[in-house]
Amino acid sequence: MVKIKSKIEEEINAIFSTDRPWVTIVWDDPVNLMDYVTYVFMELFGYSRERATELMMKVHNEGKAVVSEGTREEMEHDVARLHEFGLWATLQRGDQPL
Amino acid sequence: MNQSHGFTRHGEELFVAQFSDSEKEVLINLSQQIIELLAERVDHHDQDPLAAMVGITVHDSPPEDEVLLRLLPNAYADGVDAAEFRRYTESVLRTKKQAHAMSIRTMLMSSEDGSIELNHELANAWLGGINDIRLALGVRLNVEKNSHEELELLAPDDPMRGVYGVYSWLGWLQGNLLEALMDGLES
Repeated sequence: MVKIKSKIEEEINAIFSTDRPWVTIVWDDPVNLMDYVTYVFMELFGYSRERATELMMKVHNEGKAVVSEGTREEMEHDVARLHEFGLWATLQRGDQPL
Repeated sequence: MNQSHGFTRHGEELFVAQFSDSEKEVLINLSQQIIELLAERVDHHDQDPLAAMVGITVHDSPPEDEVLLRLLPNAYADGVDAAEFRRYTESVLRTKKQAHAMSIRTMLMSSEDGSIELNHELANAWLGGINDIRLALGVRLNVEKNSHEELELLAPDDPMRGVYGVYSWLGWLQGNLLEALMDGLES
């Protein structure tokens, strides 16, 4: 009985949860230098040079990349900081197609 | 145009460059234009002084001007979410971008011999400010459609040739500031 109850609670929590994962996406841009995009990822997210370069290459080659994940509020904060540095960024629910 | 040697690292946290008079002038003018362009999106809070106090902007639709739209882009693909986000954040974003441009402008104006010294924080402001100028020029040059090869071939009397020259120089300047900054970072 306890087991069933906790299962139901879990389901209900999932339905009403406001912090379902959201993602920040950076889109390719013909102006921003590759080194600049890498540097901004390192500065804003504290990513290693290797990880930041990998993400930059993904943006460059595939046109976009998910650069961070978290609550909606956190992603709005990330997008605002990326816009401050001129990167073209949007946020959306993590379960939506990119 | 490439009279300066760009930025070099001095010690732990100092980035130094020497600009010629004409380079100074170009950077001061372009920074000023960014400040003025962003000021065109000024908020008129005649009806709601409280909103002004807490930094809520009256703008919830994206700018019509292409350059302003690139500097102040939508945060959501969805129009309703984008408008809501813009209403609460655009004025802060505009202020930050103006501060970046202002830092370039005031430092150069107060440097008589064109020498500039940046700490890490100021270097970030300059990177962001230079990038905004490049984004603005990039829209005007239509770099989305025109390749660099095409832009290199502009006729000498084409006014866009001069714009492309400045755009390229700013890319070079931003590149060597980045190189100086990354030199000191652990990989």
